[in-house]
Amino acid sequence: MRSRRSVGDAAIASVTLLALCSGTWLLTSGDDGHAPPQPAASQADVSGAPRTGPGAPALPPSPPDRIRIPSIRVDAPLMGLGLTKAGSLDVPPAGRRNLAGWYEAGTTPGETGTAIVAGHVDNADGPAVFYRLGALRRGSTIEVERRDGGTALFEVDAVEVYDAKAFPDEKVYGAAARPELRVITCGGGYSRTTGYRGNVVVFAHLVGGSR
Amino acid sequence: MRRTARMLTGTALAVGAVGMVVVPAYGAEGGGLELGPASVVPGGEVGVHTDVCKNGAAAGDASAVGAGAFTMAPGSDDRRATGKFRVPPSAQPGTYEIVADCAEGGRRVTGDLVVSLTSTPGQVHPRGSVKTGVGGAFGRDPVQTAAGVTALAVAAAGGTWLLHRRARGDGI
Repeated sequence: MRSRRSVGDAAIASVTLLALCSGTWLLTSGDDGHAPPQPAASQADVSGAPRTGPGAPALPPSPPDRIRIPSIRVDAPLMGLGLTKAGSLDVPPAGRRNLAGWYEAGTTPGETGTAIVAGHVDNADGPAVFYRLGALRRGSTIEVERRDGGTALFEVDAVEVYDAKAFPDEKVYGAAARPELRVITCGGGYSRTTGYRGNVVVFAHLVGGSR
Repeated sequence: MRRTARMLTGTALAVGAVGMVVVPAYGAEGGGLELGPASVVPGGEVGVHTDVCKNGAAAGDASAVGAGAFTMAPGSDDRRATGKFRVPPSAQPGTYEIVADCAEGGRRVTGDLVVSLTSTPGQVHPRGSVKTGVGGAFGRDPVQTAAGVTALAVAAAGGTWLLHRRARGDGI
């Protein structure tokens, strides 16, 4: 009887100690959170000139429903986005962590031209849909599921980071002669007073489509 | 708080603001022939649709822009006549009439294609940076915080129980 009780006591004592240590560790570690990954200079566009390679033949216009980027484990629905009064691209509601958007008045992904997708890097609760976008590398695949039942496959050409004060509108949003895609999120350094300094922008072009 | 502090920093830039003309991106229906996009850069591909032709068959002609003839056949999704052509990289900016003659009934449909060198005038592009983050990734992970609090509560309960037993003289 006595020994059984002391075994129980020892178990409770060790659980208590373990809980104390892990609780303390959980509450003291990770105080600063984790900055989202930023693209390396080697992932930037090296050509400098506009890319005019043929890529895959354009798909007919069809609104996108979902974006998948397997290499950074993105699989999120897409909502339509408009413009803010200031003329910048609107963003999905911050409360929904796994939701991205596409610029509805523009080109649909897969069609000739520049299709634009944007999503949050984080929200008030922590990392969001495009948290790892800056870790994407040239040659990675982006899949866009379309409402016509097909999928547009894009290959990443470059991953850039731009300061908001010198955002290259024409390069990011301008027309393209082939089906291209931009995926945009916040990045480029963070300050508690002014927020993120700019945006991470992924440039990709269509390499295939399936129905 | 943080969010309000970081409002609209990037929108002051009027750098390279392109001429903004509000026109639908595609679906220009001058004469029943829909072009998508209706405005394209040289070298770009244009999709063509029309509801007018019976059986969805037509002979398209984009020679005005130097792209020659193209065929239109019923689309896989619907019975609309569907075709496409590529604007030659050498095409000059301007507005070109694209025509299609229905295979049956002899009707002719037309649509206007705008070729421009830089941005697509028919499309309003967004400007500036996008506000897609508030810095929440830098804060403490709420799940981790909850786990830590739970663990400390367990430790407190265990400690209380042990102290209670010792106080009763049961020994440990």
